[in-house]
Amino acid sequence: MKRTCLIILLLYHAILAAADPDFATLLSDIDELGNFDDVDFSAVYTIVSEKPGEEKSVTQARLFRRDFNDQFVMLILQPQVQRGQGYLRVDETVWFYDPESRTFEKSTLRDNVQDSDAQNSDFNRNSLADDYAVVSWEVAKLGRYEVYVLDLESTNDDVSYEKMRLWVRTDIAIILKEENFSVSNRLMRTVVYPKYAKIDERYLPSNALIIDELNEGERTQFSLQDATTARIPDHVFTKSYLERVNH
Amino acid sequence: MIAIAFRNLNRQKKRSFLLGGAIAFGIVVVTVMNGFTGAFVENVGENFSSIFAGHMFVTGVEKDSDGGTTEIIRDDTLLLQTIAKARVEPTYLTKRSEFRGTIYFQGNSVTQTIVGAEWSEASFFRERLALTEGSFGALIEDPRGIILSEEIAEILNVEIGDRLIVRNRTITGQQNVGEFRLVAKSHDPGLIGALSAYANICYVNELLDIKCSEYRSLGIMLRSLGEIDRYADELYEELATALDLFEREKTEEEPNPFRALFDQADDEEWEGTRYRFYTMNDVMQQADQIVQILTTAGIVVLLVLFVIIMVGITNTFRMIMIERTKEIGTMRALGMQRGGIRQLFILEALFLSLGGALLGLAIAAVIMTILSRIFWGLDSTIFILLKNGYMTFKLVPRQVLLHFGIVAGLTIVAAFVPARRAALLRPVDALRSI
Repeated sequence: MKRTCLIILLLYHAILAAADPDFATLLSDIDELGNFDDVDFSAVYTIVSEKPGEEKSVTQARLFRRDFNDQFVMLILQPQVQRGQGYLRVDETVWFYDPESRTFEKSTLRDNVQDSDAQNSDFNRNSLADDYAVVSWEVAKLGRYEVYVLDLESTNDDVSYEKMRLWVRTDIAIILKEENFSVSNRLMRTVVYPKYAKIDERYLPSNALIIDELNEGERTQFSLQDATTARIPDHVFTKSYLERVNH
Repeated sequence: MIAIAFRNLNRQKKRSFLLGGAIAFGIVVVTVMNGFTGAFVENVGENFSSIFAGHMFVTGVEKDSDGGTTEIIRDDTLLLQTIAKARVEPTYLTKRSEFRGTIYFQGNSVTQTIVGAEWSEASFFRERLALTEGSFGALIEDPRGIILSEEIAEILNVEIGDRLIVRNRTITGQQNVGEFRLVAKSHDPGLIGALSAYANICYVNELLDIKCSEYRSLGIMLRSLGEIDRYADELYEELATALDLFEREKTEEEPNPFRALFDQADDEEWEGTRYRFYTMNDVMQQADQIVQILTTAGIVVLLVLFVIIMVGITNTFRMIMIERTKEIGTMRALGMQRGGIRQLFILEALFLSLGGALLGLAIAAVIMTILSRIFWGLDSTIFILLKNGYMTFKLVPRQVLLHFGIVAGLTIVAAFVPARRAALLRPVDALRSI
C-alpha cells in the first residue's frame, strides 16, 4: 500500500513537472532573442509621447548597442532644441549629456527618456532571466496567439518595476504584452508590442505602445527604423563622442 | 578756518541743505539696502532651518553595489545616544523622510518633494506653516493625509478630501504608487514652500519601501542660528568618536564644505552606514555669495549716485567760487595763503559730506525702524527674507565707515578743482572783479 502511494505521489510530481514549462529557460530565451551578444546593433527610434492637455511631442533618437560589453549610446536627433543630448552607459552607470551646459549628469537605466513613458531600459539589452523569477503562470489566448501569462517578481533592486505580468507567445519566446506594477502592487503601465522586426535572427519590437495607467490619456508609442548590426566604431561608446558629435 | 567753513555753509542754508540732502539720499539708499542684506543670511538661514527642521543635520549614507548611494538612518540608537552625550542643547530633534514624486489628479499632474515627519511632535513647524484650509489635526489623524500649498492645489484642481495618486521611487529606485488624501492647504510661503508637500512619515516610508521606524535625516534644532558655531565642532567630534563619519573639511577641488561632503560619497568606498554631518551655515555658504554680490552692488549704486552728485557739487562750488571772488581777494590781501583758500573750500565740502552722510544715516535709521515694526505676516511672499514675519536690518560698522569714507573722498574730489582755481586767483584780479 505504502509503495503504491509513493508511486502515485512520484507520478503526480512527474506530471506536474512535465506540465510546468521551464520558465527560467523561457526568460533566458526571451533575453537571447532580443539581445545582440555577438554583434553591434544600431537603429533610429521615433518616440511619440501624448499627455493630457499637452501637444504631442516627437523625439527621435539614434541608438547604438554593444550588448556583449553592456554598452549603449542614445543620441537625441529631434526635437531640435534637444538635439545633441545623449545617454551613455559605461558599466553600471548611465550618463546624460547636455550640450547646452556641456556637462554630464548621472542617470540610470530606470530613468525616462525625454519625459516620455519609455525608459532607458526599454531600449537596452534584456536581462529578464537575471532580474526576475516567475511566481505564477497560466496559458491563455491573446488575439490569435496562444500565450503564457507569467507573473514575475524581481530578484534584485536593479529594476524599475518590482512586479511584472508578461504575455509570451508559446511558440516563440517573444513578449506581446506586459504590465508593470509598483511595489505597492498597483498597475503603472501597460506595454503592447504589436509588431516585431527580425534582425539577424533576433526579434526586436518594431512598434510598441506604452500606456500610463496612472495618468489617463498619457501614452507613448515608439517605432524602430534603420536597424542594422553593422560594426560600430569603439569611440562611439565614449563621453568624448557625445561631446564632439554636434560640435 | 573751521569756523569760517561752517559760517559759509550756514550763509547759504538752502544750497547747503539741497547738496547735503542729495548726499543724504545716497546714504539712505545704500544703508537701507546694506542693512537688509546684512540680515539676509541670518533670516534666510533661520527660515530654511524651520523649513528643513534643523540648524544641524545628520544623514546616514549607505553605498550600493553599483556605486550609488542611499540616504537612510536605519538604527539611530547610537546616534541619539551620542547627541545626548555631547553637550548640545537641542530644542527639537526631527526625524524626516522625503521623496520627489509626481502627484496626479484627474489628468493634472505636478512634481513635488513630499516631506514626511512625525507632525504631532513638530510643533515649531506647525507654527511656521500657515494653513488656509484644513488643519494639522486632520493630518495627524489621517495616516495618508497630505498638505499641499494653495498654488499646487490650484494646479491640480483639488479640494479638501480629494484623493490623489502619487508616483515615486523607492529608496532603491523601484517605481511605486501611493494614494494620499488632501487634508489641508497651506499658504504658499515662497519658492521652497511651493516645492514641498507634507505628509506622515510612516506612509512616506512605506512608499520609500523602508520601515516606519527608519528615516532619511535627523534635524537638530537649536535656539538660534547663532548657536551653530558653539555646538557644531563639539558635536562633530563626539559623533566622529562613535560613528563612521564623513570628514567635514573643504577640499582643494571643492572649497564649499557642504558640496565637498557630497563629493566624498561619490569618491569613497565603505561598508555599512557612514554618517554625514552638516549645518545650516554650511548650506548657507552659497547665500553668503549672494550677500557679497548685494554688498558690492550697494557700493556700485553708491558710486553711481555720487558720480551724479559730484557733478552737482563741482558746479555748485564753481558758482561759490565766482560768488566769493571778492571775498577770496580780500582774504588773500589780508595775508591768507593759497593753501588756506584751498583748505577752506575743501573743509566746506568735507563738512557738507559728513553732515549729509550723518543726516542720511539718521533718516535710514528711522526708515529701518519703521519697516522693522511692520508685520508682513508669516504668509507673505517675502516670508523667506523675514524674521518671524518682520523685516530686520543689520548694519556692519565697518561698512558704514567705508560708505562715509567714499562719500567724503568723492565730495573732496568734486570740490578740489573749484578749490584749486579759487586758490590760484590773484588778489588784485579778485578784488577788481565785479
